[in-house]
Parts: sequence; C-alpha cells; structure tokens
Amino acid sequence: MVELAPRHKYGLTLTVPVMPASGTFGYGDAYQDLVDVALLGAVVTNPVSLRSRRTAQGRRIGVRGDAFVVHTGWPNPGLNRVIRTYSETWERLPIPVIVHLLASRPEEVAQTAARLSGVAGVAGIELGFPATISVRDARATVEAAANEGDLPVIAKIPFGRVERLAPILAAHGADALTLTAPPRAVLPVRDERAGAVARFMRGRLYGAALFPLLLDTLSYWARRLPVPVIACGGIASPEDALACLTLGAAAVQIDALLWREPALLDTVARALVQPQKPDSVLAESSTEQPGMEDEE
Amino acid sequence: MVKRQTAILRRARPAPPFWEIHLALEQPPEPGAYVLADLGGPLREPLFPSEIDSAGFVAAVPPGHPALRLLPGAEIDVIGPLGRGFRLNPDGHPLARLLLVAQVGFVPFLQPLFQAAPAVALVVEATTRAQLPAPTRFPPTLELTLVTLDGSAGYLGPLEAEGAVPSGLERAGPRLRELIAWTERACFAFELDRYPALAQCVSEVRIQPQADLAQALVRVPMPCGVGACDACRVATQRGERQACVDGPVFDLLAFRRE
Repeated sequence: MVELAPRHKYGLTLTVPVMPASGTFGYGDAYQDLVDVALLGAVVTNPVSLRSRRTAQGRRIGVRGDAFVVHTGWPNPGLNRVIRTYSETWERLPIPVIVHLLASRPEEVAQTAARLSGVAGVAGIELGFPATISVRDARATVEAAANEGDLPVIAKIPFGRVERLAPILAAHGADALTLTAPPRAVLPVRDERAGAVARFMRGRLYGAALFPLLLDTLSYWARRLPVPVIACGGIASPEDALACLTLGAAAVQIDALLWREPALLDTVARALVQPQKPDSVLAESSTEQPGMEDEE
Repeated sequence: MVKRQTAILRRARPAPPFWEIHLALEQPPEPGAYVLADLGGPLREPLFPSEIDSAGFVAAVPPGHPALRLLPGAEIDVIGPLGRGFRLNPDGHPLARLLLVAQVGFVPFLQPLFQAAPAVALVVEATTRAQLPAPTRFPPTLELTLVTLDGSAGYLGPLEAEGAVPSGLERAGPRLRELIAWTERACFAFELDRYPALAQCVSEVRIQPQADLAQALVRVPMPCGVGACDACRVATQRGERQACVDGPVFDLLAFRRE
C-alpha cells in the first residue's frame, strides 16, 4: 500500500505504486483488452479541460532515433461530456481514477475541481501546467483546486521547472507532485517532395533516454520535498521503476513508451508487488541518496 | 476484442515503388483495417493488407521501412487486427459494381478489393506519366482509368477539378462523375486534404446517397491503435473522430465542407 496524499482528509491509497501517465492511456477503458487494469495502482486520464478543445493542426508525431515528439493539442470534449461519457467506466474500475486537468486559469480549475468532487470513482486530480507558467499562477491554480474541491491534488511539474515550482506548490496545497511532465522539444519536418526541411514541429518529447534525466531529478528532489513524489519519464522496465522507488519516489507513471508495449504496465506492476531484491549498487548505501556515487 | 499475435515474416520482395512483405498471421486484417507491428522502433508501425489469404497477408511498404531490416522467419509482435476497414456489403447482398479511386502511392491499400465484385473500376491519379503503374500489373478484369496532373497520360487531373482544358486533353472530373453515377460502392484512398472536394463530387452526382456509398481511407499516424493517445484525430461533419478506432475507413461524405 502506498499513500499518495497523507495530508489529505480522504487520502489517496494505491495498492500498487504504478499507473499510466496522463495522455497515454485514454480515459480508462481504451486498453481494456491489452492491460489488466486491476493490477495497477490507479489510472490517470487523458487531460481534460473545462471546455472542449479541438485537436492541433499540422504534424502530430515526429520520430528521431529512439525518441519521438507528440503534438496533439490535448483535444478533449470538455469536462461535462467527459464525465457523462466515462463516469460509469470510472465507477466500474477496480482502482482509483485520477483525472488530469489542464490547469489553464485558477477560476476554471476551481470549477472543474468542484465538479469532479462528487463523481464516483474519481479519487484524485492531477494538474498539468503550461511549460512556462509563472510561479504565482501555478500556486493560485493549486490553491484553487485544493480549496474548491474535495479531492487530493497532484501537481505535475513541467520539465526543468522543479526547482522553481515544486517546493512552493508542495507548501501551498499540492498533496503530491509528479516529476515531471515531458520536456518540450522541436523536430525539423522534412518535405519529402522537396527533400528539405520545410518547417518544424513542437511537442512533448518521449523516449527511454529521458530516464537518466528523471533519476537526476529524483536523486536531488525526492527526499527534499515534503510530499510524496510520483516519478514519470522514460521508465521502460521493472528495474527502472524500482530505481525510482529506491531514490525516494512513492510511485511511478509509465508514459508513452506503453504505446509500443502496453504490457509494460502489467509487468512493472507485477514486479513491484512481489518482494524485491534491490540491485546491489542501490542497496549498498543507507545515505540520503542510496547508491549515488560522487558527482563528476 | 483487441488481441496480440505473432506474425512470421515469410519473405520480402521488390514491387516498385514498394516492397511487398509477406506475413504469416492467424488473423489478418480486413481490407482497410490494420495491425500495429513492433519492428524495433520507439513506436509500432501500422501494416495494411495489400493481399490477404488464408495464411496471412501481404503489406506494401516503402523502401527503407523497418520491416525490411528483418530476415525471413523473424517473429513480429503485432497488435490487432485494429480499426474499421471497408464495408462493402453490410446488408449481406453481394456487390455487383465497385469503384476504387486512389492516388498512385495509395493503390496498395485498395488492392485487396480488386476482385471484390464482378465489375470493378480503378481510377489511379499520379503527378506524371512516369509514376503510373504499368497496366499489366492489374487484373485484366479491372476497368482501369489513368489520370495525371500534367496531362502526360490518360485524363487530366486533379480528379475534382473542372473547367476548360487545352485541346487534346480531357478532364478527369466528368469521367469520375460518370463512374460514381453507376457504382454501388466507391472506395477512395487519398491524402486527407483531398477528401472534402471528392466528397463534394459524390454528393453532386448522387442524390441523397446512402451511408457508406463512398468510403475514404484516412492515413494518419496511429501510435496506440486503441484510441488512447488522440494523435490520430480527424475532423468530420460529426465532430472529431479517432482514425485508429472509428476509422481508418470513414464515410467519405463525413468530410464534406459545411
């Protein structure tokens, strides 16, 4: 059992510290034939906004080596329609549902948090922020979600903003933090007919190469923050997940790598519920950052 | 029910401008549907059938495709069949007349339908004569209409265009309309941005056309295949739809402009 919201009146208890990341798993039932959801700790939905959003124009996917960039614009039918369509599914799921909200403005987040408070099956909110959000706006948004709703609030910190945002949001209403949202990245888009770079696409970067960056972040921040930390970014195996937990993460999110291998969720979940024999390097040290060797 | 299967690569052979890969698979996809294959890259690759038989299917892939790095006998993890393919006779009646219309690079997607009815007409549009496939590559029963954008062979395209043409050339638009007028089903395979104008052609020729009279294969990236990632959404008259589960074959008239 893992408690993701120990300061919250209801808490957010997971039987297994594994869940899909927002934007990768739909709204709970898309992978029902390929993933045994009952093995997971929770489901995090695709991002939801108060009003409907249309899909982005232009190129949506770009691949470079083992990494890829995704730009969807977070299309969704809006909060009310999402609730109408999926509330029965959420109620039926044997695990908690965490609804990922697009944190646009504090007033909107307050409305959405309040609306979600009475929805059966929903056990928490994860807030996703624009990559360039100011500290003041992020704080106001978290406070709005925490004050207007009854649900535990998880703040998903934009990549590269942990130092500025994480301590403040943890001190002002976030029950847990997800470290981190995918980095923003730009790829050149080749015009096949002209055989040259015609334009660029910007989007979220995914790939196993993000994992060392995640560990770098966790190794410093996971034990310095006063709330549970959920690790997210490039986790590609049970060993990766275990490394995150060893560095202090309370739980892990599997991101878009599950599109290639949906069974990754089951595999990680099964591995983490069984007694672990940690890697010897990670087990050697009992210091604040276990197994961490000296910095260069 | 979406399932995982293991496909076995039987062989790969050149079929310019494509390569054909032959895959043994217990449950191959229907025409217009697909499987997502793990070929070693960070994302699965969609494979559409260009031929289907009892042992599996053939997929036409471009040169450099990751499947071409595999050796015969290689086992490939696939998810699927996925998506909604072409719906030729949903009421159970055999089809008598079928029209297939494609850009030259998309012809393999319609190839499994070449013999789906006693009378099949195929319209192929290419930029210029050199891109057109040799007519000998098609079954002799197929009624073939060739279209080029520069008028170097066949009718002058694009298919949806109208208006005067230089002497000695004939517009493809009237020919397409004539074919649409008599067909029981029409299957299109084009870039997505061509569909509004092609849908307009159909709606001008057929009065109150029934659903799925004309169907359009949409080719967009489909990384997850199950409607989870939202990367494949396309705008239709009924709002946005996910090509991976609601398609990739849609009613062409869903792309009509308002």
